[in-house]
Amino acid sequence: MNEIKKTYKNYVGGKYVRSESGKTFRIELKNDFYEVPLTSRKDIRDAVVAAKKGFTDWQKLTPYNKTQILYRLSEMLEGNFDTYQQILQDSGLTKAKAKEDIKNSLDSLIWYAGMADKWEQMTGNLNPVAGDFFNISHQESLGVVFTLNSSEHSLNNLLLNMLPALTTGCSVISFNEENSVLALKLAEDINNSDLPPGALNIMSGKFELIIDDVSNHVEITAMALYKKVTTEEKTLIRENASKSLKRVYITPPTKGLEALLPFIETKTVWHPKGR
Amino acid sequence: MNKWDYAESIESSSIVNIQKKYGIFIDGKFQSSNSKKSLKTISPSTEEVLSTISLGNKNDINDAVQSAKEGLKIWSKLSGTQRAKYLFKLARLIQERSREFAVLESLDGGKPIKESRDFDLPQVAANFFYFAGWADKLNLSWNTNGMKPYGVVGQIIPWNFPLLMLSWKVAPALATGNVVILKPAESTPLTALLFAELCEEVGLPPGVFNLVTGDGTTGAALVQHPEISKIAFTGSTGVGKYIQKETADRDIGLTLELGGKAANIVFNDAAIDQAVEGVVNGIFFNQGHVCCAGSRLVLQEDIHDQFVSKLEKRMQSLRVGNPLDKNTDIGAINSREQLDKISELVNNGVDEGGSIFQTECELPQNGFWFKPTLFTNAQPSYRIAREEIFGPVLTTLTFRTPEEAIEISNNTEYGLSAGIWTEKGSKILWTADRLQAGVIWANTFNKFDPASPFGGYKESGFGREGGRHGLLSYLKVQS
Repeated sequence: MNEIKKTYKNYVGGKYVRSESGKTFRIELKNDFYEVPLTSRKDIRDAVVAAKKGFTDWQKLTPYNKTQILYRLSEMLEGNFDTYQQILQDSGLTKAKAKEDIKNSLDSLIWYAGMADKWEQMTGNLNPVAGDFFNISHQESLGVVFTLNSSEHSLNNLLLNMLPALTTGCSVISFNEENSVLALKLAEDINNSDLPPGALNIMSGKFELIIDDVSNHVEITAMALYKKVTTEEKTLIRENASKSLKRVYITPPTKGLEALLPFIETKTVWHPKGR
Repeated sequence: MNKWDYAESIESSSIVNIQKKYGIFIDGKFQSSNSKKSLKTISPSTEEVLSTISLGNKNDINDAVQSAKEGLKIWSKLSGTQRAKYLFKLARLIQERSREFAVLESLDGGKPIKESRDFDLPQVAANFFYFAGWADKLNLSWNTNGMKPYGVVGQIIPWNFPLLMLSWKVAPALATGNVVILKPAESTPLTALLFAELCEEVGLPPGVFNLVTGDGTTGAALVQHPEISKIAFTGSTGVGKYIQKETADRDIGLTLELGGKAANIVFNDAAIDQAVEGVVNGIFFNQGHVCCAGSRLVLQEDIHDQFVSKLEKRMQSLRVGNPLDKNTDIGAINSREQLDKISELVNNGVDEGGSIFQTECELPQNGFWFKPTLFTNAQPSYRIAREEIFGPVLTTLTFRTPEEAIEISNNTEYGLSAGIWTEKGSKILWTADRLQAGVIWANTFNKFDPASPFGGYKESGFGREGGRHGLLSYLKVQS
């Protein structure tokens, strides 16, 4: 007998919220049904407001503090190992695969936690200009980033869709469809991890319902597509993005410097040397 | 007239040899275009016709792409060091013929010879030298999991620094193993055509550098060509948006270096005389035809009157006139179209209520000229305070607190550059952290170097040119 296990809410601005539309959609995992929010266009606009605040609060923390918060998230995750394993197994993974995936997720989190206070050293440098000038290029985070998460049932993949932008100090609106149960479960750990409200927002829904609003929203600075979309969708996204020169990235989920590069801006500062 | 009179000191134009008519450069040689159509390129300081250039069409672009694909086969087989040698040789040849290039640049574009000779050309050679050295060190440049060139790259450059923009685009693209199709600006094609001759002279493999002259339709054909893997564009934000939209259905690389409306912030604890010099250089360099020009003077209220009076006095000493005169500070406006645009915005500034100051100077009879102009009493809502004028026009806004200076400076869709003038180090760093701009000059302005990344935040575009960061514009992450 199928039963409705739980109705999840979106996680926006550090709060669990229903879709303002009141609509949900149903995800079936093994023999259980889960109701998850069908994010509306208004919900996206609200999330951008929350993410803007989250960006201000998150990027101003010291890199050391960011590292601690992301490490804390890994501790929370580890404490809920069994819950994630159950969801992954219910999603069709074998027990061994589910365990391996969670172990990989912890590794990814720890990798990125330790990256939060180092990536700037790997991407910035003094520039040897021909003249008596101090000239330095350092990096700043881009702003509010929307990520369309992969459809693969994998906690590791899910984290690799959020962490690159988050690690650089961007705030993230993380949008999920097939993986909504897993992502919204993760929201509970995020809520306990000391991330400033709005820094990482988790939402569920159907991308086609919000594609136009997200790609047109001028306060979303970048969109990262980790899920395969059709050529028509890609074209629409990039056409809308061109109105405000929004950055659109189709990028593989990896642990590596290249995963961070899309989410940073280079700022170069000159000053003369003299007496 | 409160200026010293100088005797004319005209740089001879006999060093340049301009042909009556130019073809397009494809397969390593000049050939006539398919279009059979042409454009006249004129000297903006005299309106004299200098030459006739080809108006490249779709078929020309297609030929260039096929040539580039052949070129890529050769270029990609060379080692980094072999590529470096070609670029070093080009750098040396540019140095050797730099006077010729400088005169040609000033004739065709209208910029003062002292700038083309002492700024543009040394920077052009330096760019080729700098990126030549990267060609065999790409694996050491970034700690990433493998990057490779895009292949056939389309590049579209503007008329304000014609050869310098060519070098910003071509040198890094070739160093990273790409091949190039370049479309120079319609009003300033001559130095790019001379550069093509140098490519022939150094024996650059055919198809590695291709040049198709023309106008906006030629650029559009390049942007639309399905076999281009990357577009690099410098120009207006409007055209940048068009390119992003036009390429939306293709997974290609895109870097855009677009407009700006830079704030040049002067705090009351600045070294005032130095700041006046910096502000003048910031807006009147190259007739203000500079995307990163410090076109908004953001001035602390309590020094406003003192600063403006010094600024007006300094502006009055700027010499406007013949670009080939070595004494000239401000040359000709690049085209009639640009002159009309500047005039329209300045008239609007007066209509909206700004107080205008223009220097007293005689402008030549022929050609396109605009007097150095300063607006005070402007509001942030005025068009002269919001829109890129791209001319010798400075708009003043005032602030009381550092926080307000940041708010005014960032209150623009652009984010290319900014200036900070204060003698207090901590205030420089505090301000620099808060300005949304890709290049920040503190107690200096309009400084450039091949090693220094350049490019904008927000609607000033994306991607960087120059430095280690500039390599990323021409290398894609392998997935």
